[in-house]
Amino acid sequence: MSKILESLPMTIVAGIVLTIIMVFATNKLEDMNQSGVEKAVSDIQKKMN
Amino acid sequence: MEDFIVFLVRYLHVLSGVMWIGILWYFNFVQIPSMPKIPDEQKPAISKVIAPEALFWFRWGAAGTVLFGLILAHLNGYAHEALTLQRPDIGFGMWLGLIMAFNVWFVIWPAQKIALGIVEADADAKPAAGRRAMLFSRANTLMSIPMLFSMISAQNPPGL
Repeated sequence: MSKILESLPMTIVAGIVLTIIMVFATNKLEDMNQSGVEKAVSDIQKKMN
Repeated sequence: MEDFIVFLVRYLHVLSGVMWIGILWYFNFVQIPSMPKIPDEQKPAISKVIAPEALFWFRWGAAGTVLFGLILAHLNGYAHEALTLQRPDIGFGMWLGLIMAFNVWFVIWPAQKIALGIVEADADAKPAAGRRAMLFSRANTLMSIPMLFSMISAQNPPGL
């Protein structure tokens, strides 16, 4: 870990990777937190977008 | 009136956040990479004048950001949902911000006080403290990328 943090470019790349992981985790948690009806509405909204 | 208070707290949260993350990025993108290029006789200008002043605004910017952020989340009624990740869109950003602020006050600032000679310490302790402060400052720079993504995307969903 300290090897990554000693390099500023590697730190930025690691920050971007962590952002991507966070986006996937956010979507997964939102799906888990939604009830069946909410999920159906959300899926329809996503399709409309 | 309530809308104005929410706006004012959000404005103060953003102002404090810009102060905090702006100085964090100044340290990591400008000051730390430039130090090896500065002649030894000029280094005290950074270590004795600029860095202590920057650290003052840095740590109080962090405190203000967290304080106004938590008030804002409470006023908007999502503080509990966000911190328990029932609202992960803003919750991840809040947790990253809280971890970063903890690092500022309880790791970086104590280590910088030793490294910059603000408090008495053994000569051997200074390089170790300087390295500890640098690594935690870099960790905060790393976390600032997803933290800012979360803060912005919760307000303006990117549609991912």
